[in-house]
This record gives sequence, C-alpha cells and structure tokens, in this order.
Amino acid sequence: MLQYLRTSGAAVVEALQQHVILALLPVLIGLVVALPLGYLAHRYRWLYPPLLGLSSILYAVPSLALFVVLPSIIGTNILDPINIVIALSIYTVALLVRTVVDGLGSVPPTVTAAATAIGFRPLGLLLKVELPIAVPVILAGLRVATVSNVSLVSVGALLGIGGLGALFTDGLQRDYLAPIFVGITLSVLLALALDSLIVGVQRVLTPWVRAGER
Amino acid sequence: MITFTSVTKRFPDGTVAVDDLSLDLPEGKITVFVGPSGCGKTTSLRMINRMVEPTSGQILVDGQDVMRQDPAELRRRIGYVIQQAGLLPHRTVVDNIATVPHLLGWDKARARATAMELLERVGLPASYAGRYPVQLSGGQQQRVGVARALAADPPIMLMDEPFSAVDPVVRAQLQAEFLRLQQDLGKTIAFVTHDIDEAVKLGDLVAVFTQGGHLAQVATPERLLAAPEGDFVADFVGRDRGIRGLGFRSAVELPVQPVTAASSGRGWSLVLDAGGRPTGWSSGAATASIAGAGGTFTATDSLRAALDQALTSPAGLAVRVDERGVADGTVDHASIAAHLARQSSDQLMQAD
Repeated sequence: MLQYLRTSGAAVVEALQQHVILALLPVLIGLVVALPLGYLAHRYRWLYPPLLGLSSILYAVPSLALFVVLPSIIGTNILDPINIVIALSIYTVALLVRTVVDGLGSVPPTVTAAATAIGFRPLGLLLKVELPIAVPVILAGLRVATVSNVSLVSVGALLGIGGLGALFTDGLQRDYLAPIFVGITLSVLLALALDSLIVGVQRVLTPWVRAGER
Repeated sequence: MITFTSVTKRFPDGTVAVDDLSLDLPEGKITVFVGPSGCGKTTSLRMINRMVEPTSGQILVDGQDVMRQDPAELRRRIGYVIQQAGLLPHRTVVDNIATVPHLLGWDKARARATAMELLERVGLPASYAGRYPVQLSGGQQQRVGVARALAADPPIMLMDEPFSAVDPVVRAQLQAEFLRLQQDLGKTIAFVTHDIDEAVKLGDLVAVFTQGGHLAQVATPERLLAAPEGDFVADFVGRDRGIRGLGFRSAVELPVQPVTAASSGRGWSLVLDAGGRPTGWSSGAATASIAGAGGTFTATDSLRAALDQALTSPAGLAVRVDERGVADGTVDHASIAAHLARQSSDQLMQAD
C-alpha cells in the first residue's frame, strides 16, 4: 500500500483534484440553473408538474448511458471531461429543482403576506425573505446532490475520465488491490468532507434554525 | 384620515366581500371593524394598503387615492400588525423591528437606535434584541409586531386581529398597553376583530359589518351598546349590553353616603386604617380584605366598576376613595339603580 502511494502518489493527487472539480462544478452549475427554474415553478404553479416530470425522467436515465450518448448529442469528443460535467449538471438540476420549489414552499404564507404588506417589492421579497428562509431545505438537497455527484464521477472512469474512479479501473486491470482501496477511501472521505462543509455553511447562514432548537 | 367612498370588492368567483362601503376613519382615533367571519372586515382593512384592490369605489388616505400610489411605497407609510405577528423568522428581533426603516433606506445606526427605543417602548428588555422570533412567546412576538409597525413612525396603522392568538390574560395586558401607547401616539388606526368585547374596549368608533359585506352600524361603543340599530347588531352586541354599557358611564355624578364609623350593611362594617384608607370589612370575628371583597372605586371609574363592587362586597356597599386612597363615600346597588333611572329620565326629557 505504502509502496503504491510512494510510486503513484502524484497520480493519486491528480485523480483527486480531477474528482473534486468534476463533482463540484456540476453542483454549482446545477444550483445556478435550478434556482430560477425552481422560482418560476414556485411562482407559476402550472409549470411545476411538467418541470418535475421532466426532472424525474432525466434523473432516471442511467449515468453510464448518459455519458455515452451525450457526446453524440452535443458534438463533443467522448473523452472530453465536459461530458461528465454536463451529465452531472443535468442530474443536479433534476434533483435541485424540486428542492428549490420545496424550499420556497416552506416559507410560511403569513410571513410572505406580512412582508409584502409592510412594503417589500417582489425582488426584495425573494432575495431577502423567501430565499434566506428556504436555505435549510435547499442546502439539504444540495448535500444529497453533492454526495451523489462524488460517487457518480467514478462511473466516468469506464470512459477513461473519472477522477478517483480511474484508480478502480487501474486496480482491476492490474489485479492490484492497493489503488482500489485508496480510491474507495479517498472517495468516501471526499464525500464526507464536502458534506460537512455544506453543513458548516448552513450553520453560518441560518443561526435562526439552531436558535429554535435550543 | 381614511375615507371609503362606495367601495365594493367582488372576487373573481363572484362573491361580494364588501358591498358599497362608505366610511370615514377619523384622524388620530381607533376605528374598529367588527363582525362575524366572512363579513368583509378584513378585506376592507386590506384594501387600505392595496393588499386587496377594490372592484369599484375609492379609498383616500390623507386625501390621496390609494390606487394612484405605488403599492410598496404606500405600504411603507402604513404600519401593519397581523394575528400571528408575521415576523421574519430569519431575522433577529431588532432587525425585524428595523425592517421598514431599512426598506426606506435609513442609515443602519439610526434604524437600530430607533428599533432599540421601540423594543423598550413595547415593554421588552433590551437583551431580547438579538433573539430570533422562534425564541419568543406568542405575546412577545406580538409586541415585536407592534414595534415593527411603529418603527418608521407611520401616521396610520392597520391591525388585523392582532391580539386574538394569545391567551386571555396576555390579551388583556396587550390591549391595556396598546391603549396607553395610543394615548401617547395618537395614530389613525383601523383595527379588525371578531370579538365585540374587544371592539367596545378599544374602539373610539366601532363599525359593525354583517354577512355579505354590508356595514350595519357605525357608532361610538357607548352608543352602540345603548342603541344598536336593528336585530343583527343588537344580537351581535350581545345580551348583557346593558351592564357592559355601564362601563362607558362615569361614576363622577353618582351620589354617595358619607363614610362614618357606622358605614355598614348586612352586619359588616368598613375597617379603615389610621389614614382613613379602607382595609377591609369585619363582622364579629369574620373579616374580609378590601381587595378580596370587590376593591374600591374612584369618581373617574365607570358605573360598571361601582355596581360590580356593590354586588361583590359582603356589606353590599361599594367604597369610593379619593386620589390619596382615603375612603370618601359608600353606595349600595339600589342607589346606583336609582341614579341610572334618574339619568335615563333626564335623557328622555332632553330628547323631547
């Protein structure tokens, strides 16, 4: 094991870096796309069922199939990491649209009514009242999306781009346990670290939630 | 001053919530909208700040048609308090109170200073400033709600059943403090309640609404209790309105018997301390403290207080005290009844 890390340490670090980028970039893109979509579905209720249906269908497409089909749809090289980013962004959007709608729906109607009645305009209401109150629900969805992305990136290794997943394929091909073990360990640790990071962010952003628990 | 002129609100499904309402809410006074649920009282209130828009008719606030004003700017000039307080759960108490000043673009220090002042004014300790709404009781949230409505010192306040979600003891406390606050501030207030007792207690003017959004009667509480117009209002105002009406009649002209060593009735005599202040009643070995036996009244109290004490006291006598607390007269319920009979015959003669 130590022998493996000594000889392939640099490759492991590089795989880890790629894994972080491939997992996190889609989370950011997904959030940026899901926020306005979720807001629209919240504001215009008739948009919600079709949007949710579409999200569920997209989410049901197996990741490997999406990785393979996507390049022919968008015209990229099959080995281009952008495929992974786009595929995972689609999953993240599918997951987060529902979360954003639920989050905005969790704002008590008495609060939005009172805020409107004391003089918030629609944009101020969204940015200063509805979104901040929706943060706990949205971040809960973000945790699921992030952890799920960390595990999905590895699937890309079957196509040759998959961050830590490359260590699994390497280990399997060489019938060598060390890279597989290192890959799994780092993958789990990465998921845990990112999850705790989001929990930390939530604590900072929503002191009022914990105030209610004391 | 708020003026409704032939205001009608018809919802898209055809229900008429408010039907041809014309009403003046006098400057600096509390006008209470009262009635059963579905009578249009809340809809009428919400049309003042355009949370609901009238189908026809006109609402003027200080001479300006509300429909010609920017809704958000109009609302920032009108304080608003609702049933569950509607505080922003993610903001601290002080930030909640400072919400409207922030929207109006006040600088932060001034907004905060104003909010801290108001926190004290509504009877909450300064240490509550950093708490979140979820850490407050219902009554405390309602106080913060009132402070928030007052923060930008709006000349007008709308209050939609602000005290109905708290228990009766807290409600009575909040009502009393609200009246005290209003004495200092003299805001023009529209106040919605379904509780006729609250209406007559708080209102300078009471507007009784009936089902279908009709205005049945507008009158001072005293007048409403004395002369309800029509069966609906009489029924809504309630059975014991005669007794409740006494709450609006001053005891100042009520004749009393002088206090003597022999001030007694039914075998009970009044016990005074060295300064002449009543401490209780005694009858042989039995004693009753004055507080436990109805208390005392002053000339500025209502006839209802005097009558209640006469009925509660073991001697059948209500004890009047002067501003120093010294007993200066007693009266029994028969004398109060005789006084009322004289007053009503005087009124009838004046009416002729």
